[in-house]
Amino acid sequence: MNDEELITAVREQRSKIHSATSVEQIIGRGRAVRARRRIPGAAAALGVVAGTAVALTALVSGSHPASHQPSARLAAWTVVKHADGDIYVTIRQFRDPAGLQARLRADGVPASVTFTGQRNAACRPYPGTGLIGKVISVRQEGSRPLTIIRPSALPSGAGLQFASSAPRHGTVPGVGVDLVQASPQCTGG
Amino acid sequence: MGVGTQRLDFAEFYRRSKDECLFTVLLSVGDRDTAQELVDEAFARAWASWRTVSRHPAPAAWVVRTALNANISRWRRRRREVLVPDLGAVADSPAVAGASDGPVDARIMAALLRLPSRQRQVVALRLVLDLDTARAGEVLGISPSAVKAHLARAIASLRDDLMPERQQERPS
Repeated sequence: MNDEELITAVREQRSKIHSATSVEQIIGRGRAVRARRRIPGAAAALGVVAGTAVALTALVSGSHPASHQPSARLAAWTVVKHADGDIYVTIRQFRDPAGLQARLRADGVPASVTFTGQRNAACRPYPGTGLIGKVISVRQEGSRPLTIIRPSALPSGAGLQFASSAPRHGTVPGVGVDLVQASPQCTGG
Repeated sequence: MGVGTQRLDFAEFYRRSKDECLFTVLLSVGDRDTAQELVDEAFARAWASWRTVSRHPAPAAWVVRTALNANISRWRRRRREVLVPDLGAVADSPAVAGASDGPVDARIMAALLRLPSRQRQVVALRLVLDLDTARAGEVLGISPSAVKAHLARAIASLRDDLMPERQQERPS
């Protein structure tokens, strides 16, 4: 075997390794990638509805406590739990993170929510990659992104961290969703 | 380009590139499951940014670069939490997970995985992904001359490893 045959032998190996992942799986996962990214739609909506949303938040949240079922409708964000267990979250305004966090926890999702541009320092990433795509999907609903949580797909001991990015000049803030290790300090007891 | 056309375009790119990207990343990280996970994630990111990635001069190189970056981030993140084996040590392992599955030449794979990490990456990009020297250098963030040097050393090591008889023939 000379050098050329050696290189050919190395090249031949590439045709013997095959990826079993379908393109449909990749495309589905791509939606989860978008979910982890900043969501400009939320920020765009933020600018448009900010004036009325604050008033609506005060008005509506008073009549829809976090424990109310099946849904709590707030101007800043909306959480709707569906019969199949999936939870639909729409964030319109970065307000009342504690309320959103409490609502998600009440719906059975260990969650940490921060809208300060900082993540909860007590949260640790959940080991493994690619799992978030099974728990979270995002689709566009009107001008806003709709985040769909599938609690049944949450791995044991895992929770979700919602964190807004810090507003910086020239960028629009968005919300990132990550899988974290559930703990009393991060996602509540 | 409409969404349907984009999807078809991406599907064709994926069909054409998925195996060579997987093999390229496998050579870099030394573990089949890890490589599969990284490549799947990188392709998902490619689809999420397909308008941009499709205009990249070498989209497969973009995928590999993204997968390797993700591996570095993953390693750094895990390093803070749990101890992980050094990648070099993994490469020295006689039974690298997945590498000897199927009809691959176990002897060649073992020799490749014994190479130092950078040499493996250069071999993967130059010989598996068929990138030219300049593009391989861009992906790895090293100069074209460094790519050439790593490749030459890698070929020499593989030659010594796989063709010991030639090594013996050399004058001492």
